[in-house]
Parts: sequence; C-alpha cells; structure tokens
Amino acid sequence: PVLPEGWSGERDFKAIGPLSHATDRNIEPVGPHFLAHARRKRHKRTFSEDDRI
Amino acid sequence: MSGENDPAQRVAIGISFGNSYSSIAFTTGEGKAEVIANEDGDRQIPSILSYVEGEELHGGQAKSQLVRNAKNTVAYFRDFLGQAFKSIDPTPCHQSAHPVQAASNVAFKIRDTAEEAENTVTVSEITTRHLKRLRNSASDYLGKDVNAAVITVPTNFSDAQKSALNKAAKEAGIEVLQFISEPVAAVLAYDARPEAKVADKIIVVADLGGTRSDVAVIASRGGIYTVLSTVHDYEVSGFKLDQVLMDHFAKEFIKKHKAGGDPRENDRSLAKLKLECEAVKKALSIGTSANFSVESLANGLDFTATINRSRYELLASKHFAAFARLVTHAVEKAQLDPLDISEIILAGGNSHTPKTASAIQNAFPETTTILAPSTSPTAINPNELSVRGAAIQASLIQEFELEDIDQSTHPMVTVTPHLSHAVGVLCISGDESSGIFHAIVDAETSLPVRRTAIIATPREGGNVLIKLCEGSRHIKVTKPEPKPKQERDSDDDDDDYDSEDEEEELREKTWKVGKVLSEAALRGVKKGAKIEVQINIAADLKVNCIFREVGGKGGVRGLLSGPKVQQNGSA
Repeated sequence: PVLPEGWSGERDFKAIGPLSHATDRNIEPVGPHFLAHARRKRHKRTFSEDDRI
Repeated sequence: MSGENDPAQRVAIGISFGNSYSSIAFTTGEGKAEVIANEDGDRQIPSILSYVEGEELHGGQAKSQLVRNAKNTVAYFRDFLGQAFKSIDPTPCHQSAHPVQAASNVAFKIRDTAEEAENTVTVSEITTRHLKRLRNSASDYLGKDVNAAVITVPTNFSDAQKSALNKAAKEAGIEVLQFISEPVAAVLAYDARPEAKVADKIIVVADLGGTRSDVAVIASRGGIYTVLSTVHDYEVSGFKLDQVLMDHFAKEFIKKHKAGGDPRENDRSLAKLKLECEAVKKALSIGTSANFSVESLANGLDFTATINRSRYELLASKHFAAFARLVTHAVEKAQLDPLDISEIILAGGNSHTPKTASAIQNAFPETTTILAPSTSPTAINPNELSVRGAAIQASLIQEFELEDIDQSTHPMVTVTPHLSHAVGVLCISGDESSGIFHAIVDAETSLPVRRTAIIATPREGGNVLIKLCEGSRHIKVTKPEPKPKQERDSDDDDDDYDSEDEEEELREKTWKVGKVLSEAALRGVKKGAKIEVQINIAADLKVNCIFREVGGKGGVRGLLSGPKVQQNGSA
C-alpha cells in the first residue's frame, strides 16, 4: 500500500506487536537440511554465521 | 574401538523391513540411490523364512513353501518384534507358522534343523536370520562386507520395538545408524532427486501395504519435515484386494467343477489360491487383463481363468474407496483441508494399482499432485521409496560417530517451535489503501527460519508502506447458483461454512489477515520497482526483517521482540 501522509517511525520502522505463540513439534531427523539445522543448533550458530563457514 | 563401529570402516546400506516385503539399497558414488536385487533377482524380497530338512530358504523361495511346508514357514513377523504376546494380532499368520508365547516374547515352533524335532524360535531370532540374509545379499552385490544400515520403521513403532529391532540387527552384524520413519523416507527419496526443488508444501504419504496401511501428513518446509498427523489401519490393506480376487476365482471354480469343492476350505488349495491371486493383482496393475492358472487347485483339478481390469475394479471398488477415505481422514486429523495438500506420495505395493491412484485423486482437488506410476511419469516405484530414502540417509550419516547421530536426533534438537500462523506482507491490490496478503513464511514452519521474497509495489512508485502481518488460511466456499460469483474483494472473505449444497459449491483457499506485526516505510521507490523482503524468525520468536528495493541500496531494517510472558518450550 501507499504510505499515508504523516506516517512516521524510528528509522522508518515501527514495531506493532509480537508474533503469536508458537507450537512445539517434533521435526524429523532426516535429510540434508535437517543435518544442517542440527549442526547450527549444536554449535549455536545463526544462519548467516553458518553461511560464512 | 572395534572396527565395526569405526566410521571409516563402515559400509552402510538402507534397509526397508516390512511385514510382507523387505528391500535393500545403497547410494552410488554420485549420490544416487540404487535398490539391490538379491540372488533370486528380487528387489522386493518377501520377509519370509522357511526350513526344509534343515535348509534355510529365504525370500521368494520361502514364499513358495507356503503351499507345501506352511508349518515350517515364518511370515509377517515384523510387527511382532518387541511386542507382548497378548498385544499381537496373529491373523496374517493363519496360513504359515503360528506365533506362540515364549516367556514374555513371541516365538514360532518350527522344525528348523535336520532333526525330527520342533524348536521354539523367538521372533527376534527370526528377524536376525532375515536381516543376515539381507545383509549377505547386499555384501555379495557390493563386494564389501556390509556392517551398518539405516532401517525404516512405521511412525507408530514404539521404543520397545525399535530396541528389539536394534538388538536383532546387531546379532546379524548390522550396526543400526538410525531408525527413520517410512513416510519421511519416502519424501526424502523424492526430494533427493537432482531435479527436485525444495519448497514449502504439505505432503501426504499413503503407504498401502499388504497387512496394513499407513498414512502420514507431513509439512515440508525448506527440506525440513514435520509429521502433522498419522493414521494406521490394519483392515484397509492389500490383502483385502487379494481376498476379492480369491473369492472371485473360488466362485468361478465351484461353478465350473461342481465336484471340486471350495478351494478356500482346504489349506493347501487356499495357499495356492492366495499366491496366484497376488500375482494376478500385480499383473492387473500393468496389463488390462490377467490369467489365473493353478495346477491341481483342489481335488486334483487344474483351473485356469482370465479376468480383466474393469471387472476387478468393479469387484474391489469398495476397497479403493476405503483407501481414499483413509487418506482424507488423515488430512482431517491434521486439521487441514484437501486444498492444503500439494502432493500425495503413494508408497507400498498396492499403489501400483491404477484405480487406487485415481480413487485418491478424485477425493482431492486438481491442484493436488498424485505421485504414483499411473498418474505421473516421473513417479518413483512405490515399492522402493522408503528403502531409497533409507539409503540416502545412510550415505549422509555414515561418516558420523554414533554418538554424534544420537545427539543430533535427541529431542533437544528435534523439538522445535513451529509458527502457528503464516507470516507475510500485504501486497498491492486494486485498492491502494489496502493490500492482499502474501505469505512469505507458512504456518507450521519450524524455527529458526529465514525466508526471502520479492514483492511488487504500486505502479506509480513513490512512498510505500510495508505491513508485516500474520495470516491464517481460510477455505472460501462460493455458491455459484443464486448469485453469480462475487467479486473477490481483497482481504474480506465470507465464510459460508454452513452452506448446504455440496456439489455445486466452489471452494478456494483465501487468506485472512491477522495481527499486524510491524510497519515499514520505503521512500522514493521507483516506478514499477520490486521490493525484496527478508524475514528472519528466531526460535524465541524474535523477528528480524529487512525491506529493500531490488537493485537499490540501504533499505529498512527492523527488529521485533518476541512475546513477553511465555512458555516457549526448549528455545
């Protein structure tokens, strides 16, 4: 949508509300993408940190 | 460390171990899964062992012993492993060695040596012998001693069953690297193909086996799989299809030979009938007619007959409908609509039957792809899906220490928060002040997640407001009869859930915009420019987003903190 007149936010960004609560589910420990996820989780890395390695 | 547990010395294969059939596969140097045929040339190896004068027969050779030597032939034993005797259903074993109780275990009384004496052999020992034969076949084919495997199991296999299988495998000289569930292995088999694109989609895997059917609804999000619901049914199965043919040919036989008697009332005749009917069923999956022919079916009378496919489909129509019901039931159980399903993967031998695929296809909208041999030229052989998945998983993890695998499959890693709603942005619509919801991250996506999407801006450019919001999927039902199709008005959808006329209604997926999460302004956007939106959602529900004009510099970044009061699981 078009920006309304007089809209302002800090650095042009305005946080309004948080996400709804998530549900906990079990992911299947199978496949290359899971292994990448497990690697990130065990080393406590983020996506961008993982990309750099 | 023993050589067997040393990852460097490992030769790992994938094993699919079923009640009716088992198969083995390995992954080639180029990363392609290949199914191994045993020495009889079978890729689908019957999970049957038979003993003749102390000699052990396995697979297809053992299966033919069901006629002459049923008492010393063990079949359909997978589901008995790790179970208490009173909890098993011995029905499938009526025509082979019957299960008996031995202490707390299930066992079989068979004459498995040259001596004239019956031995009590536990189901774990039978499993060990079966796995040994599979291992030998794989070792012979590969020319290397196979000592490790990934084994597929049903989703409702208990820990007790898994540990019993693990123990039996160890006795057979196989180190089980991991147990993976059959439906997930099937999805992996498809996703591992080089032409496959990893996408966000909901997949249903319907495994239609001999003694049981299992359906699983799986959310595939960027190659990570979450099982949303499962249904198991021991009544709706391939045996029911065999039974239809058995009844048909038995009646034909009685009609033709008045003195012959009912072949279903004599054990040996029944065994012959059953074996031949399974073969007829398979032939009808390929051709439009099949021959039934058994020498000395009953009372020394030979019997030959033919059946065409349409006749068979008519006779078994209620069983095909039952397959379709089972699949829709699993979708309901996941609280989803058939419109949410992008793909249905048919696995298991009975998926070869063209009518099975078409019955399921009819229960789903046209947007749903059915992956079965009769509906898709690129479908993988349904019998081979789970073993291929297992072989791929085996090649991925065979280099790992067992300890690493255990740690990675621990609930600490696998239990993750999943988004309860889709997250996306409001895109331009006809009306400039409102927008239509464009989902970027779907619901049931596991966290953390990072997604990027390109969206269009208003035609004339200028200053643009980007709203990040949650959305939920609704099924919009339109009744075309009384009033012509209403004009679809952006984010307003009328939920005619209580509409009565089921046949005429038009159902479609729409989005209902939920909570607004943030607003961002991009100023001075060029005419017709596109905007790149990147959303990062952390496991603690913190959202980090970047909005940038494609080709432009800078952009707007924003950070949203997670909900305050919460119990967010293990994050």
